Amino acid sequence: MNPKEDNAVSTATPQAMIKKKGSLQRRNTLIAYSFLAPNFLGFLIFTMLPVLFSIVLSFLNWNGGTIDRISWAGLDNFKLIFKDFNFTRSDMGITLKNTVLFTLATVPLTIACSLGLAMILNKAVKGAKFFRTAFFFPYVASVVAICVCWNFLLMKFGPVNQALSYFGINISKSWTQSRDHAMLAIIIVSVWRHAGYYMVMYLAGLQGVPGELYEAATVDGANAWQKFWRITFPLLSSTTFFVSIMLTISCFKIYDVVAIMTEGGPGRTTKMLVSYIYDLSFQQIKYGVASAVAMVLFVIVLLITVVQFRAEKKWVNY
Amino acid sequence: MTSLTARKTDIRRSPLQTALKVLLYLFLLAFMVLALLPFVWMLSSSLKLDKDVFRYPIQWIPAQPLWDNYAVIWQRVPLMTYFKNTAIISLVVTFMQILTSSFAAYAFAKMTFKGRDLLFLAYIGTIAVPWQVYMLPQFIMMRQFGLYDTLWALIVLQSFSAFGVFLMRQFYMGIPNELSEAARIDGMSEYGIWFKIILPLSKPAIATLTIFTFVNTWNDYMGPLIYLTSDHMKTIQIGLRRFIQQYSSDYHLIMAASLCSLLPVAIVFLFLQKYFIEGIATTGIKG
Amino acid sequence: MKKLLSLFLVLALLLSLSAVSFAGEKKVLRVASWDTLTGGYLAATETAFEEAFPDVDLQYVDIASQDYFQKATTILAGGDNVDVIDIKELSDVHNWVEQGYVESLDPYVEKDQYNLGNYLGLENNYRADGALYGLPYRSDFWVLFYNKTLFDAAGVDYPTNDMTWEEYAALAEKMTQGDGIDKIYGSHYHTWLSAAVCWAVTDGKYTLADGHYEPLKYYYDLVLGLEDKGVVQEYSELRAANLHYSGVFYQGKTAMMPMGYWFAATLIDEKAKGTFDFDWSFVSVPHHPDIAAGSSFGSITGSAMNKNANDKDLAWQFISWRASEAGALAIAKVGTRPGYVSESVAQTMAAAEGFPKDDNAKAALVPTAMSLEWPIGEHVNAIKTIVNEEHTLIMTREVSVEEGIEAMNARVAEVIGQ
Repeated sequence: MNPKEDNAVSTATPQAMIKKKGSLQRRNTLIAYSFLAPNFLGFLIFTMLPVLFSIVLSFLNWNGGTIDRISWAGLDNFKLIFKDFNFTRSDMGITLKNTVLFTLATVPLTIACSLGLAMILNKAVKGAKFFRTAFFFPYVASVVAICVCWNFLLMKFGPVNQALSYFGINISKSWTQSRDHAMLAIIIVSVWRHAGYYMVMYLAGLQGVPGELYEAATVDGANAWQKFWRITFPLLSSTTFFVSIMLTISCFKIYDVVAIMTEGGPGRTTKMLVSYIYDLSFQQIKYGVASAVAMVLFVIVLLITVVQFRAEKKWVNY
Repeated sequence: MTSLTARKTDIRRSPLQTALKVLLYLFLLAFMVLALLPFVWMLSSSLKLDKDVFRYPIQWIPAQPLWDNYAVIWQRVPLMTYFKNTAIISLVVTFMQILTSSFAAYAFAKMTFKGRDLLFLAYIGTIAVPWQVYMLPQFIMMRQFGLYDTLWALIVLQSFSAFGVFLMRQFYMGIPNELSEAARIDGMSEYGIWFKIILPLSKPAIATLTIFTFVNTWNDYMGPLIYLTSDHMKTIQIGLRRFIQQYSSDYHLIMAASLCSLLPVAIVFLFLQKYFIEGIATTGIKG
Repeated sequence: MKKLLSLFLVLALLLSLSAVSFAGEKKVLRVASWDTLTGGYLAATETAFEEAFPDVDLQYVDIASQDYFQKATTILAGGDNVDVIDIKELSDVHNWVEQGYVESLDPYVEKDQYNLGNYLGLENNYRADGALYGLPYRSDFWVLFYNKTLFDAAGVDYPTNDMTWEEYAALAEKMTQGDGIDKIYGSHYHTWLSAAVCWAVTDGKYTLADGHYEPLKYYYDLVLGLEDKGVVQEYSELRAANLHYSGVFYQGKTAMMPMGYWFAATLIDEKAKGTFDFDWSFVSVPHHPDIAAGSSFGSITGSAMNKNANDKDLAWQFISWRASEAGALAIAKVGTRPGYVSESVAQTMAAAEGFPKDDNAKAALVPTAMSLEWPIGEHVNAIKTIVNEEHTLIMTREVSVEEGIEAMNARVAEVIGQ
């Protein structure tokens, strides 16, 4: 009954089979490539090549202009961004700290909210259709309108502060204009926007969880909590893997919401890595330096992904 | 400890269940209010005079709703053209995305070949690079291809995303290998397995990807901003931002325009959402 | 699912068939600019230019004003053959020169013996290493707008062309009336750095790129003091609501407002449309006791020639016409202040339909001294970012004025020292 044992058997079989037949593998590889080709070719040309170029660019000097104005920089760009590195003064330090803090808060909160909502709406709840649509709405609306709206709700005398004052919490400033609350505002809006989006992922994922498992577990006397941790959560692991990677990446790349709600302020309180990249490439026209910052972001996210990827191989139950 | 609570639950089943259900609905309602409150505000603002939008205390239902605001926005900017362009891009991209992604994802999820994991990591890795960094090289390349200022530029850029492949792969991982194994033993080709077995099973995934792709393409701002210049090529998000810049103080009109731009996506969602709950055939096999 | 897919395909095909474009027969001149749909001076320019040169079809390439530099640079980098590219901020053209995207105008000036004497030296801001890369077609400086009707109703004298900042502050306090929703503020500062403290550069010597920011303290104290007294709306509230200054003025919520001259054309336009019905006018901005009355700061807007221009002679034809008296008169008629300000241009501006009729406004049309908001220089863009960031901290009162200025000094020193 344990899904993990079940899985061990199912993955072992095809691998064992393939090891025996080398020629089959070669043929298989060709077929696999034919499956990949339509997407991969487009992806390679339109996305991967420019990305590779930008990786190379982080080791070059380029302040715009024709290609012949590019010169070799070695590690200069990296030295520049890490010069006097610290978390309270240098741009790199502050934006890195802000981005990591934001990601650490937003990822678990969003996963909890979206999984929770999906679990509830997966059951026979009256009006599920309506609720699902309602929760997805925040993601659909234009970011500008949403941010203007939240800015208003979070204003000094706005509805949120009014509501909080009933509970004895008095905030005497607009959230986005205060060093203590600006980051929180960004986190709230991000979780709010994405909870419904990833809820949809989880809903689709939950369709693959067989009902028989729950019935059997009920017979065995498991309570709801145990059912969740022993059955639902493990079986959703491939969805969770996807959600956590996509969320981590999108958190590291956050730009829109910050640009509209706080413009990185007050001061540099909510300035993120991508805002810094944007500054460098479009205000200061230092494409090489901007690429170097992007590479730092890239390496961090790649490391996180590799760790999660390893974890997937170990834990994902299929 | 846990078994004790379990037994307790068994004994007091019905009153506890009712209480739970009430709690559940309260929770859902609270969340719904949170999710929809800003939209209610947008709707109410879109029916007000500009000077009343930021007034305290908030008047949720305007005394004299100005439905005219919705007529005004259609006269101010060529929204219809924008809608049409956005629809073309979104539909083509969504279609291409689903086709190529589900194809590629099959290889990643159900086949073993040399360099699979590395290639997959490369796919995900590119997602991590912010677009701002490779935008310029990409733009120069697209110009060389003569795709600048055509809707094709946006179509080819967004049709082959790593996101779709990743998403579909994760769903395919959830489909038991026994199914494809059995078909292979029966002598079915890989293409046959993809078309006859995997694809029909992945309706919820396709529905999800359709919605995500559609929404993302619909709401894309930077892409059209950079790649489209002629006015008859522009998309709804560009129109919306331009609207916001030109009528920067007319928040009532901005809200009305935002709500209009939201409608098509909401309709697509309503239309596709039944696929999320439609049980899939794997249910019986796995247990 | 299959039905759905085929539906997608059919729809997509139908829609793409209807999106076919066609070209005209005249010589086409493409000019990249921003806010091209709003009408105003760009529409006036187009009409007048096509009248003067009937064989040319002027087409604007619209670029969102907020992302102007980014997108314009991308277009240039991509090798677009747009003929003329407008210069929104001074730094734009210097970046383009450095990157080799724009053509020097010197050969054309020489060939046509073009007279550069009418711009009061403003055109020199478009020079790099002595070569000229742009001609100014607009020059905006800051003035003090006021709502005449409010002053009349309160029985208070209008502001004048010679007021110190203290006198202005006292006047603003006097004009503040009412409470709550219906409160009318004495003055209004938009959230830009320039609206609050850029006045420090009006002495003609100090610039914001000098690396020391003590001169800003006087103006920070003034603005924050007015906020404390409830004479102006709080910066943080304006930021949170993303409130645009024009709405505040249209709705009669403020008696005065320092703002760039470009707002005059908008006011003329909006009043004609019926957006508001009170009378307005403007005077010179107030001055520091140590700085002469009538000193202000501003910015110039010009056009440059793309190195990849489709037709360079046509581009020059437009650039030179636009910066000449003929081009100046065309936009002066709609209330915009051209780069070329001669006697007849000034008269045309003052005679524009809807322009205030009082003598003070006419006198204020020509400032006694005009400094540039930001100078040109290697680190200016980096410094701008820093000063703006610290500015938000001071204005939201997250740090004191002294701390903020200290931080500006320290951070800018690091950049200059690099």
